[in-house]
Amino acid sequence: MLEVKDVHKKFGRKKVLNGVSFTAQKGDITCLLGINGVGKTTILNAIMNLTPIQKGSILIDEQPQSPDMYNRIAFIPDAAIMLPHMTIKEAMAFMQDYYDVWNEKRAKDLIRFFRLKTSDKIQDLSKGNQAKVSLLVGLALDVDYILMDEPFSGIDIFTREQISEVFSSHLIADRGVIITTHEISDIEHLIDKVVLLGDGVILKEFYAEEMREQEGLSVVDVMREVYNA
Amino acid sequence: MNLILNKRDPIYLQVIQFLKQEIISDQLHPGQEMPSRRQLAQDLKINPNTVQRAYSEMEAEKLIYTEPNRPSKVTEDPILLKQLKSEWVNQAVKDFVNAIRTVDISIEEVTTMIQSEMNHTQLGG
Repeated sequence: MLEVKDVHKKFGRKKVLNGVSFTAQKGDITCLLGINGVGKTTILNAIMNLTPIQKGSILIDEQPQSPDMYNRIAFIPDAAIMLPHMTIKEAMAFMQDYYDVWNEKRAKDLIRFFRLKTSDKIQDLSKGNQAKVSLLVGLALDVDYILMDEPFSGIDIFTREQISEVFSSHLIADRGVIITTHEISDIEHLIDKVVLLGDGVILKEFYAEEMREQEGLSVVDVMREVYNA
Repeated sequence: MNLILNKRDPIYLQVIQFLKQEIISDQLHPGQEMPSRRQLAQDLKINPNTVQRAYSEMEAEKLIYTEPNRPSKVTEDPILLKQLKSEWVNQAVKDFVNAIRTVDISIEEVTTMIQSEMNHTQLGG
């Protein structure tokens, strides 16, 4: 389990996270949901220890953050074009040299799954295919948790569909996935848990299927209630 | 496999309904291996945990059974299958009666219409 406990974060005098707490289980797809600017990316950065927090703690399987955790968590940032000057094939070889936890078989499965051509240069790919490469690089690591920042942003509907299919596949296996997004309707039926964020705080945390079963509400219904839109 | 999901009903219940229909219409026949949970999740584009839940419920209802380390299979129990079919038809009849309950029409007329529709459907395959 990944636990975020009472995390506070300021940029200068501006409070970005104001006591954020939630959990994400292994085997679950947890979705951090909220409009742009509520602190979704900052939370992921805090989990990865890429930005210092002022207060609170983050536990990974009950252990505090440590250099060792990078063998257990992969972070797929938004819009970062990884290794742009390389072909996909070269990038895969590079990753294999660089990471002990690189799983070559899964990488090949993913290339097939995403229908990518390994001789293509990454910088020449469409935005959708570049997003697939970023996902591929993260998913091919044998880690327990995968964080994805806005994996669907700025991507056409067909590529979105292909990417979302990854979530029901063996390529995710029983790992814990945390994704951030501001657009849920495409993937409502794929996610387990929803964490709704307002300005630097958690407004609601719930399992989507429980909400449907107990209240007869879709995720979007709950969002409408919570955000009072 | 094609299942159009609505967003407000629990997905595992929608999956169970779908699978029951597949069994009733013999798309999945008695004793046939069920798709793996992962495979069905991918075919229906849903969360594997949801399929797991649907399978567990169907196992509890004995509509599918699982021997250790084997894929789940559709029940071969004729009584259960018959019961499943009659429950399904019962529900359809209830829905139908409910839908026409405010219409001024005699039971004879309705019966004739059902008869003709059934003939028509059978002829048309």
